[in-house]
Amino acid sequence: MTSLQLPSAEMGAGRARPALAPVRFAAGGLLAAVTLTAALALGAAVGETSIPVETVAKTVANRLWRAGYALDPIDEGIVWNYRIARALVAACCGASLALCGVVLQSLLRNALADPYILGISAGASSGAVAVAILGLGSGFVSLSLGAFAGALLAFGLVALLALGAGRGPAAIILAGIAGSQLFNALTSFVVTKSATADQARGIMFWLLGNLSGVRWPDVSLAVPVALGGLLICLAHARALDAFAFGSRSAASLGVPVKRVYAVLIAACAFMTATMVSIVGSIGFVGLVIPHAARLIVGVRHGLLLPASALIGATFMIAADVLSRTVIPGQVLPIGVMTALVGAPAFAMILIHRPVAR
Amino acid sequence: MTLSTKFLRSVLGACGAAALLALALPAAAGPTQYPLTVKNCGRDLTFTQAPTRTVSVGQSSTEILYLLGLAEKVVGTALWLGPVIEGYEEVNAAIPRLADNDPSFESVLGAKPDLVATQFQWQIGPQGVVATPEQFAELGIPVYTSPADCIGKDNSSGGDGVRTAKFTMDLIYQEIDDLARIFDVKQRGDELIAELKAREAAARQKIASLDGKVSAVFWFSSAELDIDPYVAGLSGAPGYIMATLGIRNVIESEEEWPTVGWETIARANPTVLVAGRMDRRRFPADDIAVKLKFLETDPVASLMPAVKEGRIVIMDAQAMNPTIRTIEGIEVLAEALEKAGLAP
Repeated sequence: MTSLQLPSAEMGAGRARPALAPVRFAAGGLLAAVTLTAALALGAAVGETSIPVETVAKTVANRLWRAGYALDPIDEGIVWNYRIARALVAACCGASLALCGVVLQSLLRNALADPYILGISAGASSGAVAVAILGLGSGFVSLSLGAFAGALLAFGLVALLALGAGRGPAAIILAGIAGSQLFNALTSFVVTKSATADQARGIMFWLLGNLSGVRWPDVSLAVPVALGGLLICLAHARALDAFAFGSRSAASLGVPVKRVYAVLIAACAFMTATMVSIVGSIGFVGLVIPHAARLIVGVRHGLLLPASALIGATFMIAADVLSRTVIPGQVLPIGVMTALVGAPAFAMILIHRPVAR
Repeated sequence: MTLSTKFLRSVLGACGAAALLALALPAAAGPTQYPLTVKNCGRDLTFTQAPTRTVSVGQSSTEILYLLGLAEKVVGTALWLGPVIEGYEEVNAAIPRLADNDPSFESVLGAKPDLVATQFQWQIGPQGVVATPEQFAELGIPVYTSPADCIGKDNSSGGDGVRTAKFTMDLIYQEIDDLARIFDVKQRGDELIAELKAREAAARQKIASLDGKVSAVFWFSSAELDIDPYVAGLSGAPGYIMATLGIRNVIESEEEWPTVGWETIARANPTVLVAGRMDRRRFPADDIAVKLKFLETDPVASLMPAVKEGRIVIMDAQAMNPTIRTIEGIEVLAEALEKAGLAP
């Protein structure tokens, strides 16, 4: 692929050093592919129980190339149906959350913006609680579907509020806060009114994020959403660069501000709602990874977007592996792991910020 | 089997039968001397006479009172997880049910009790959602708490607490004995305990030859169908059931109900899988039919030998919690193992 065919994403980097662009693109692509493959391999090889690396490799060979190695069907099933499906969804989820973090921080010009600022995780909680505790849908609606519906409902409300409040970044943030508070209160209301202790614990466990229920059908949902989201974001990379100095300067540079806002925010809401409905609301990835990526590759979105997606994907797989292995025989919610690692990382970024300036 | 071990077994069997006989004929118990002071969950309860109006919060406590023949002294019940123990349907239907779940403080008081029996401190305890024992004490109403919920269990963090020592049926026997003394029905209490111990021994006898050769996993439910399930650790009622029957729990966690991945369960390869049946419909996996369907269709769980060869035991969830019904769990599992042809 030459730089001519590339979307505007690569033009930014290309303009700086035109001669190096294709080389850098190829090197970056290779690095990304190697990192992602290594992370997926880690996710497949490490789990609650120990399965020899050889068995893992043979399983992959069997499934991808029909190699026909004789393996214990349970081992093979664990590696292929549980671990690899899980690692792929973790990667999609990490990439999506990190991408949305970058986009929202840029659009809203707020360093503390994250994918959940649009009320999505609060709405997902309410939806899940409505299904699990109130029994909405009487057993035919799964927790995931309830969470997805709740997330989109909350986002719809936040979007309406923001439109009514003047459409600017501040209006969106305030609308998000209002929406989140409302839906969190609804969740607390339902939980304290009608849930017993173990019920509340079950819901908490789910809300903190859990990848243990992931199977292949989830992969076929997560991968297209994550890839589609990545493409949409990349197509708007240059517009996002223009937003660095506010929407007015972006408009003066010829960016269709309203359309970019609408497309990107809707795309992020959809991506985040999908991921939350599959794995629960996993915190900190969408907030911290964009900052970390900015420190590494700089602020140009042509590079920042794919880098954030890659770091987010890798980080999430690693956090998932940790959550399964840090206490033997027990699985921790992945949200606990990402926050445990994410919080100190964020603190370090905060400390280093004045130096970077 | 050699002749000598056969002989040994028949001798042991005879001894067992003799022991059962001895247990079934308890020494004559004298009447309770009032005032009676009973130590219960860190407090002293004093009775000047046998209570006549009891409110019972918790199915197991209620059923113990029924089994002691005290139904006519019960004026209200609450916290029901499933149908009442067999044979007491009519008795139970005649007694007001204050609530299916947590009763309100005032509804308990409204029944004018002179004793409140609670199965869990979660409802009536230092941080009880219904009330604290002190609130009842101010009104002169003693609160008796199931020993199973306060001995070897830490409820200070709120919620349903953490078990710090293993549950045993002795805690249930203690509850029976305490209540029998409080109500001056000591002889009935001794008979009931002897009867339960005999059932326990008979179940153990049934599969004695399996000792140490069988392993199991108890699946209570799952928060979402494919997610890591709640399975029994070592310290709850299933831990006691398995220890009693000489069955190894493939889950080695000390917790009562840890969540453990299907990966770990499948590779641990238990001989039998015990699945909980309950009326609760909080999570889809509460439904036993959904559990069985999952075992049939999950790409890994369906490959477990216990599943492929149909060694799935369905057990009432009440038996999986520390209750008077735990005894039924012991019997159900022993019988299933015998039927499966695992015991000669």
